[in-house]
Amino acid sequence: MRKTKGFFAVLMAMALVVVSLSGCKGSGGESEKKEKGDPGELNIYTWAEYVPQDVIDRFESETGIRVNYTNFEANEEMLAKLETSEGGEYDIIIASDYIIKIAAEEGLVKELDKEKIPNFKNIDPVFQNFFYDPENKLTVPYGPGIPLLVYDPSVVTCEITGYDSLWDASLKDNLALMDSERVVMGMTLKTMGESFNTEDLDVIRAAGNKLMELAPNVRVLSQNQTQDYLLSGEVSAAFLFTSQVVLALSQNPELEVVYPKEGLGFGVDAAFIPSKAPNSDNAHAFLNFILDGEMGAQIAQQTYYLCPNQASYEFLDEEFKKSLIISTDDVPNGEFIQDVGPEATSLHEEFWTEFKAALD
Amino acid sequence: MGQTTKESETIVRWKKTKPTTRRNRWWLIVMPLYLFTIFFVALPMVYLLVLSFLTRARTWGVVNEFTLDNYIRIAKPVYLNTFKESFQMAVITTAGTLLIGYPFGYFMARMSARTKSLMMLLVVIPFWTSALMRMYGWIIIFRSNGLLDKLLMGMGLTDSPQKLLYSYPAVLVGMIYSLLPFMILSIYSSTDKMDWSLVEAARDLGATRGKAFFTITMKLTLPGILSGIVLVFIPSMGLFFIADILGGGKIMLVGNLIQNQLQNGRDWPFAAALSVVLMIFTSVMIWIYRRVTGVRELEGLL
Repeated sequence: MRKTKGFFAVLMAMALVVVSLSGCKGSGGESEKKEKGDPGELNIYTWAEYVPQDVIDRFESETGIRVNYTNFEANEEMLAKLETSEGGEYDIIIASDYIIKIAAEEGLVKELDKEKIPNFKNIDPVFQNFFYDPENKLTVPYGPGIPLLVYDPSVVTCEITGYDSLWDASLKDNLALMDSERVVMGMTLKTMGESFNTEDLDVIRAAGNKLMELAPNVRVLSQNQTQDYLLSGEVSAAFLFTSQVVLALSQNPELEVVYPKEGLGFGVDAAFIPSKAPNSDNAHAFLNFILDGEMGAQIAQQTYYLCPNQASYEFLDEEFKKSLIISTDDVPNGEFIQDVGPEATSLHEEFWTEFKAALD
Repeated sequence: MGQTTKESETIVRWKKTKPTTRRNRWWLIVMPLYLFTIFFVALPMVYLLVLSFLTRARTWGVVNEFTLDNYIRIAKPVYLNTFKESFQMAVITTAGTLLIGYPFGYFMARMSARTKSLMMLLVVIPFWTSALMRMYGWIIIFRSNGLLDKLLMGMGLTDSPQKLLYSYPAVLVGMIYSLLPFMILSIYSSTDKMDWSLVEAARDLGATRGKAFFTITMKLTLPGILSGIVLVFIPSMGLFFIADILGGGKIMLVGNLIQNQLQNGRDWPFAAALSVVLMIFTSVMIWIYRRVTGVRELEGLL
């Protein structure tokens, strides 16, 4: 009896050690198991519901590849995980421009084999040659967007023409902005005629001080579903991502959209293959699949971003085309928010903390 | 002389051999606990401490370069202010849960066994739903034209929709709501164990109800109060998601600051330094509390 107890204890202890040491190794050996005829798997890693389910279903039924969808909340979370797995574990990652640049610099992004992606030619060149992938070797644009100001003309009494209008006293406690220091500080920098990405610490300080004066007008800071605040009447003006602008307008066509006179922002979420993707061939097949004209249209119509696929245009619903308030002609005017040095980043953080303390 | 002691030692050792080997096997059962503590408590703490003295890399990650800058930065007024605000929030939250939780736990312990278990069930039921979901429930109550707003207007207290959500009081309600069960359960378990004959004796000797409560009941339930305070005060300094959801991203507590430094700021060493300071700060608060009240043990915790 006593022996069994001891044995049991050893077993438990060993189990714990094994569990705690091997917890992070997951699907390492799966690619080895691949038998002839079995098309294998595809591990997609991106924000929740960013790839429409019907697109995934269609890909699975056409190719027989099993798709595993994992989601992250924030770009930084994605990069931290990708780094721990040393570029393995995932086959397709869709994330934002600036983080892809860092991932590429860390050597975690695989160069695309364009022969395996015949549909690569479908990409609208307007959405190529960006800072994170200047030679278009690493990425496929997925969700490009330009954030815009949207307001409810039945409530707002002042004239909104740009970021600067948001400081108007009549908007007291009525603004929804993004919960992101670089975006809000960037807006402030634009009102001063500066770039989002200035590294001039004095300019950033001046912007930070100006930002404090915006505090009384801010009702809420939010990244997700911000259009709801506008639609429910909680705020009368908001700075929204493209998808949120489209959703807001589809539910309330009376809302006014403003192209800020100081200059547009621009961002791209793009798909890439990690350097040690276990199912690289399947990943290429997937990229080719989503670059198909019909699939591209389906994706754009469900994610509400700009459609980076030239071949998709004929497949877009008339209804949807009408709701596309942003034309691709605006894209070259948009400025990316890029990484700035550690000093500038720390300063942004500091003002952001101070700004939040000034909000009630 | 030396010989004899050595001899007797060997005898003692020999005598003890059997029982100790038997007892020795027991450490195998305790080992999982030790391993758990080492791997999931001690090592992460050491990691955090080491990380807090390193330098952030230019774009991503950490460079192995010793620096005290992370701690020096915390001394900036902006960040000290964040600690001050969090402390204020934590104190009000703790006071609020104590004010509601003490009478709740006290009367719960005085109920019949059946009602007791029913009450216990009711206190525990909210845990079956994710804390995040329950916070979204509060949004439905607090939002403009929401439940509370309609109620206030219906009672004629207000005549137009109010901005109740995304404010300090809304966050406070969320904090007190989510941490209250911990206070109730600690108070309950210490009141339940109390020897009521002591109160009876005090009453027999002429103490008023109030005096008996303050001199006997309160003193005897101090360990419960302390563990309640520990369980409420510490998390309320770091519960960033409540401040985010009910505060509309407008309220920055230390928890939010740490999260922000980890994600948008990408400054892990600074986030680690903030966590270390937060841990030291809360430990000191608990230590002060123990010194002031003279309570040694924590109800149900130790």
